[in-house]
Amino acid sequence: MNSENKQWIEVGTTDQIDMEDLIRFDHEGKTYAIYHIEDGFYATDGICTHEAVHLEEGIVMDDEIECPMHQGIFNIKTGKAMGPPVCIDLKTYQVKVEENKIFIEI
Amino acid sequence: MENNINYNIVILGGGQTAAHAATTIRQEDESSSLAIITNENYLPYERPPLSKSFLLNKVKESDFLFYNEDHYKKLNIDILKNEEVINIDFEKKLLESKNKKITYTKLLIATGCKNRTLDLENVNSDDVYYLRDINESIQIKNKLDLAKNILIIGGGFIGLEIASSANQLGKNVDVIELADSLMGRIVPKEIATIVKNKHQKNGVNVHLNTKIISTTKIDDGYEINLSDNSLVKCDMIIVGIGAMPNIDIFKDSPLKIDNGILTDQNNKTSIENVFAAGDVANFFHPIYEENIRLESWKHAQNHGVAAGKNITGIKTEYRDIPWMWSDQYDLNLQLTGRCDQYDSFIKRGKDENEGIIYFFIKNNKIVGACGLGIGGKIGKDIRLAGMLSEKKVEIEEDFLSDPSSKLNKLLKK
Repeated sequence: MNSENKQWIEVGTTDQIDMEDLIRFDHEGKTYAIYHIEDGFYATDGICTHEAVHLEEGIVMDDEIECPMHQGIFNIKTGKAMGPPVCIDLKTYQVKVEENKIFIEI
Repeated sequence: MENNINYNIVILGGGQTAAHAATTIRQEDESSSLAIITNENYLPYERPPLSKSFLLNKVKESDFLFYNEDHYKKLNIDILKNEEVINIDFEKKLLESKNKKITYTKLLIATGCKNRTLDLENVNSDDVYYLRDINESIQIKNKLDLAKNILIIGGGFIGLEIASSANQLGKNVDVIELADSLMGRIVPKEIATIVKNKHQKNGVNVHLNTKIISTTKIDDGYEINLSDNSLVKCDMIIVGIGAMPNIDIFKDSPLKIDNGILTDQNNKTSIENVFAAGDVANFFHPIYEENIRLESWKHAQNHGVAAGKNITGIKTEYRDIPWMWSDQYDLNLQLTGRCDQYDSFIKRGKDENEGIIYFFIKNNKIVGACGLGIGGKIGKDIRLAGMLSEKKVEIEEDFLSDPSSKLNKLLKK
């Protein structure tokens, strides 16, 4: 898929996500997770790669998201699966903030 | 490979604890020779799929190894498979299997558990299935292909997960449990009842307060007379009644054992340069100030990591808050902390759809929690409950019991 097909989609406003928290965003049949951490806003796929669980119910600690079902941990910024039971990385997406609006590039 | 071998570090046991301990050792120590000795024919693998996705044919063996062959080769970790160690001499630092003599400088014992077994009158022991390793899971899978009526003895996590899988494969399932509630005394009755109802709604017959009165061999299987006056015809019997630490070869040795191998908070046993970790270790927990033995996935992993550090000389105190899960149908049940010693409990949420959690309270602090939900509903709050118990945060009943309150606010106090 080339970058010409990607668009910036608005997912919400900055006040909608607490610090060290995340929200779920659904778009065209896919689920995304949008995070607010110390470093800013980030986005990944919203479903754990281990089992079909929504990461929105997981816990954000520093720059990591922990899946609520089996405590698998991913790095929010890189999507990297940090160890068992998760081994497949999450896809990440570019994020930009304009005024207080958050956009992800999908 | 020679039959007399020496390694600087030997790990006895080839399960989850061994895999993580070995990998951790290599992160700290690239030069010591290192081997894992296992009586299995497999590289270390995950056990959770054995009662669920593997039985349901959703994954194959190679899908659930912790690490593949390359990982161990790259890290110079020898894996000695199919080696049953039958004798150990702590003075000579020598392990003996049928064909090999292995000497060590430092030893990590991670032999895990073995199943409790049941002798059933008139029942051929070949017709009784247990579940702990891949081979047993394969045997169960193969028999399940042919069997129609399954009797599961034991209403604990393993029995129930197998019941759920067998039910999903279209089998008739009866589960019998001696106690008046499923999953032991630590799962609150209300939660155990929701789980029981789920099984029954799916067509599984759950017999509580029930024991076997008699068994008779019939044409295609067995006829079992139960104490609740029911007669169950089955062509397969699966037993899940708990486990015991694998310590037989240490019984006549100077190693201190009591419900497993006694260790301190740094994985050290009573013998110098001998460590223990995982299911087999009855370890001193600095937060609870007593020895406990845990049989859970997370513990096997993290205790192995701690042991890896301790054995290389990096003093690491293991003080993780216990945590485990069980998946049955679309239900996810989680336990954290100590659920056996509390003054009172606080309930949050009303059912599995919303997520229901019991917080166990002692001296106005959370000491443990048990939750049940569809999918990942309760995971976050159980995790937070564990963190709150570790930090010994004082709680307010109203806040905890309100499903809309955010528990992480309590951590920020």
